[in-house]
Amino acid sequence: MVEVETTVIGSYPVEIDNNELMDSYFNNLNISWDKYIKSAVSDMIDAGIKYISDGQTRDPFVNIFTRKLKGCRIRDRTEVIDKIEYVSPITIEDQKYVKTLISNDIKLIGVITGPYTLTKSSNDLFYKDEKELAFDFAKALKQEAKHLEEYVDLISIDEPFFSMKVPDYGKELIKKLIQGLKCPTRLHVCGDVSKVISEILDIPVDILSHEFKASPKLFDSFKQYKLNKNICLGSVRSDNSKVESVSEIIEHINKGIDVFGDKISQIAPDCGQRMLPQESALQKLKNLVKAGEEIYGR
Amino acid sequence: MFSFTKEQKILEIGNIKIGGQPGCLPTLLFGGLFFKGEPDFKYAKIQIENMMNLSKQTGNPAIPDFFIKKEEYVEKIIDFIDEILPINNPFSVDIIEPSIKIKTLEYIDEKKLLSRTIFNSIHIGIKEEERKALQNHTPEMAIIVAFNPKDKSPDGKIEILQNGANLTDKGLLAISKEIGIKKLLIDTAAMAPGDNSGASIAAIPVIKEEYGLPTGCAIHNVVEKSNWLNNFKDARKTVDVSSNINIPLFGGDYAIMGPIENSDLVFPIIAWQDIMISEYTQEYFGIEPITTHPRRIFF
Repeated sequence: MVEVETTVIGSYPVEIDNNELMDSYFNNLNISWDKYIKSAVSDMIDAGIKYISDGQTRDPFVNIFTRKLKGCRIRDRTEVIDKIEYVSPITIEDQKYVKTLISNDIKLIGVITGPYTLTKSSNDLFYKDEKELAFDFAKALKQEAKHLEEYVDLISIDEPFFSMKVPDYGKELIKKLIQGLKCPTRLHVCGDVSKVISEILDIPVDILSHEFKASPKLFDSFKQYKLNKNICLGSVRSDNSKVESVSEIIEHINKGIDVFGDKISQIAPDCGQRMLPQESALQKLKNLVKAGEEIYGR
Repeated sequence: MFSFTKEQKILEIGNIKIGGQPGCLPTLLFGGLFFKGEPDFKYAKIQIENMMNLSKQTGNPAIPDFFIKKEEYVEKIIDFIDEILPINNPFSVDIIEPSIKIKTLEYIDEKKLLSRTIFNSIHIGIKEEERKALQNHTPEMAIIVAFNPKDKSPDGKIEILQNGANLTDKGLLAISKEIGIKKLLIDTAAMAPGDNSGASIAAIPVIKEEYGLPTGCAIHNVVEKSNWLNNFKDARKTVDVSSNINIPLFGGDYAIMGPIENSDLVFPIIAWQDIMISEYTQEYFGIEPITTHPRRIFF
């Protein structure tokens, strides 16, 4: 049997203690995010997930990157006010910290919000040219990816905006970001990707990750294409706090096996779990792991 | 020295006006009464009278800022304020503990002093009970601390005011307005040395240009935490009091100047700075200083 790993997409819910942060301010203490990262990581490990993330606890997935890139500022949305440039590592310190928390048998994903999604999520007040902005985001993110691969086992690129449209430069854009990386790559596109499958299949990543649980019709859509990559099968919903039973997840994974066979290399939640109640997110991961064990063994 | 393109609001509380374009109103000074242990009201009265006297001499308005650390001191301190401060003189209450904030608001309301109260402060730690207490006992004015643990730059401070940086359900400005507080001062949240402390000064013109609200900070705190200054003991006090001039120089409206005991040194230095600013802003931008401005008093 092929080794199929349980994993996550990126974000995980944590409860931020604002009063504790204010106490640090009033007492001139360093602001540390470690307890929130540790909380997310501990839950993933407790659930039995083998391929974890840092939980993306600091910010929503766009702000994590735009907060640290020169040329961006955050108002109600990210505003692009100057040329985009990479200043310094964005997520690396958090990955280093996670490495101190996990044993050698646990693998780590470095999550990067894709350049197209950053572009579409921003209010561009500078470039006035979507493609040019997207490629400058890609250039900046590439530098983050180069740092990131020193610490992680997989780099996952989160491009939800591809579900609506993959621009004609989409393949070239992702290629610019991942070219030269030594570690494997995953492209996560949530939402209904049925209309863009051919374009997505053309993007040179190792694994494709989609929301198969919320959009089971994708099974039929994918049947029409010859699959040239591995699949990360979204198997529990991220937009609904109702916890799927182990048997329901097993049934879902078996549908996936009927379509993708041994191309399934990962099973995961449909998307980041940030918006779920923590108890629900944890139980979903536990049931996912149990379902995976039932099908693939330990 | 400059002028803002955005209209600058002038807010009034009691006999004090704050805000506007640089050079119009003199810088407002908050003098802190910290009370180590049981409040010493006799000493506090002397210090307040001294500060008020300096305020009269220079024209810089003064507000005593009362730190309330224990619930048992709430009524004593508010009774003291009611007894000794002139009836049109505002004051601020500076409280960290949420339960003490609520009790203080209730008692201030009971004493009918809310119209003279500056609530120090609203920040990301605000809880539902505090929001309700502020709605039920709404102070005339409040200070919003624009502390953003995710981003200490001026942009980060705007983010926390605007949308709460995903730490609160909405921005601190919207929260304050929803509560019903109409007069708001922005505190740019001075950080410890080495933690982008300069951003609290740089943020003053950025925030004033964005919102047109009276803005300032407690830059004194940065000096207090600058341990390297212990190697220059004779200079420490000079650095402490003079740090406050950064605020009017960057267009700010008020300084939380640290302990009220600093009044003798801070009032003259701020008056001097205000005169410098006024000379230029009147000449270049045509900003008329008000009649109580130190430039009107001394020249």
